[in-house]
Amino acid sequence: MGFTAITTVAITLFIVGVFSVILFDVQGVLNSIEGQVEIAVYLKDNVSNDLKVYLENEIKKWPEVDSIAYVSKEQALEKFKVQNEGSDILKEIQGNPLPASFEIKLKDAQKVEQVALRFVDKDGKSIDGVDEVIYGKSYIRKLFSITAIAGTIALLIIIILILATMVLIYNTIRLSIYARRKEIEVMKLVGATNGYVRAPFLFEGFFEGFLGGGIAVVLLYLLNKFLLIKGETVIVETMHIKNLAILGSSNIILIAYFGIIIIGGLIGILSSGFALRRYLKV
Amino acid sequence: MNIIEFRDVSKIYENGTAALKDINLVIKKGEFVFLVGPSGSGKSTFVKLMIKETPVTSGTIFVAGRNICILKSSKIPQLRRNIGCIFQDYKLLSDRTIFENIAFALEVIGKPNYIIKAQVPQVLKLVGLYSKMDSYPHQLSGGEQQRICIARAFVNRPPILLADEPTGNLDPATSESIMKLLSRINLIGTTVVMATHEKSIVNAMRRRVVEMEEGLIIRDQKRGVYGS
Ligand SMILES: Nc1ncnc2c1ncn2[C@@H]1O[C@H](COP(=O)(O)OP(=O)(O)OP(=O)(O)O)[C@@H](O)[C@H]1O
Ligand SMILES: [Mg+2]
Repeated sequence: MGFTAITTVAITLFIVGVFSVILFDVQGVLNSIEGQVEIAVYLKDNVSNDLKVYLENEIKKWPEVDSIAYVSKEQALEKFKVQNEGSDILKEIQGNPLPASFEIKLKDAQKVEQVALRFVDKDGKSIDGVDEVIYGKSYIRKLFSITAIAGTIALLIIIILILATMVLIYNTIRLSIYARRKEIEVMKLVGATNGYVRAPFLFEGFFEGFLGGGIAVVLLYLLNKFLLIKGETVIVETMHIKNLAILGSSNIILIAYFGIIIIGGLIGILSSGFALRRYLKV
Repeated sequence: MNIIEFRDVSKIYENGTAALKDINLVIKKGEFVFLVGPSGSGKSTFVKLMIKETPVTSGTIFVAGRNICILKSSKIPQLRRNIGCIFQDYKLLSDRTIFENIAFALEVIGKPNYIIKAQVPQVLKLVGLYSKMDSYPHQLSGGEQQRICIARAFVNRPPILLADEPTGNLDPATSESIMKLLSRINLIGTTVVMATHEKSIVNAMRRRVVEMEEGLIIRDQKRGVYGS
């Protein structure tokens, strides 16, 4: 049996699994952050009601905008009080120094800068009625491009690993074809069909891939059980992020397990198929 | 009925050796034909072409009326199931017993177990080696191994039997018993083509003789002898 081949399939698919989990989760975290991205447009105290309504209606028409909420001076003060309850700062506040604002949520976090800049004119001054615009700047976008690059690199590594396993399985099949060459010759000469001659080797390849995939899944399961589920709890509690997909309890990980076993079997069948094409001419 | 027909068949191997040159030959159903000629005259090549172990270079071969040169590769197994072949180099599997070697030929063409269990002992009795069925090939003498090859070639009762030097390197008495066996197989209707370069055997049998030399048929004689 191709012990090396099975081990390599297992290691490769385990790495594939770990990469997928990490990428999936980072994506999940970013998506949750993305959902929270908003632009705060602070209004001048003396802004007229007409201008306020006009601005609100204009902003609503922008296609990038998901929702817009008006926060009046009073609501802002309320919020501030809740957030800073018990703090000395409250005693120092006189009257209401907080501005009214629009809180704008976007459909796509990557557009944040583009939208925010509409509140600034050519000279870099805020437009009429607007005091200041605060937004998440471009760090989100950077995070996205970093994960995209990491994803591409991971994909490349995975492809290389898969190719390496295919070469290994290919070789074990080549060796077993060689070891059984006399039998194969006799089989063919007495009239065994091509399928009959090939089936055991295809099965051997499939079995190696399948078993390797199975081992990888067991390793992933253990990793998930003893590391990721605990990690998930920590992340959820500290970062208040709900939708961590693969990590821990999500059902998506079952699909991943299943997929990995299937990929293992496919790798096996493909590699032995190639070996048969090359070494078992009929 | 012509069971085997060669029409202008030539075979040139990849290295340029012309093993057969424009061969024309018709063999009728139920015939016993000796293919004689010196070493290298093309006898084994003739046999290999018939079972498509190697392709023809030009010309056509008909087996049971079908042009086997245009046979799809998926149909080759069917052809080979109808042609039992005794190979010059035996091709017995050394890690299997005699029983297993013969059973193997049935197994790989999908015969069910009960047929294997019935037919293998039967054919072993026919070749007189029933008592050796649990031995391994290396525990058998050359003549016994030859008879195992005949048993394997015949176990599926093919209509055609090709025997490539089935008496090579055997003493006269053993050769004679193998010839008796092949005659018996021929008597029940099997077409037998036997390649050999042993004069005494051919002369004793008085069957059709096709003589080859350097890839050409130089003589085709009913009830012939080898070398006059
Ligand atoms: N696979 C091959 N590749 C190249 N040349 C071959 C091959 N097989 C046979 N030949 C050549 O073809 C010619 C005929 O060979 P073949 O084996 O048919 O002779 P033969 O009559 O069976 O001889 P023998 O009595 O020794 O068995 C010889 O010259 C041989 O060298
Ligand atoms: Mg020969």
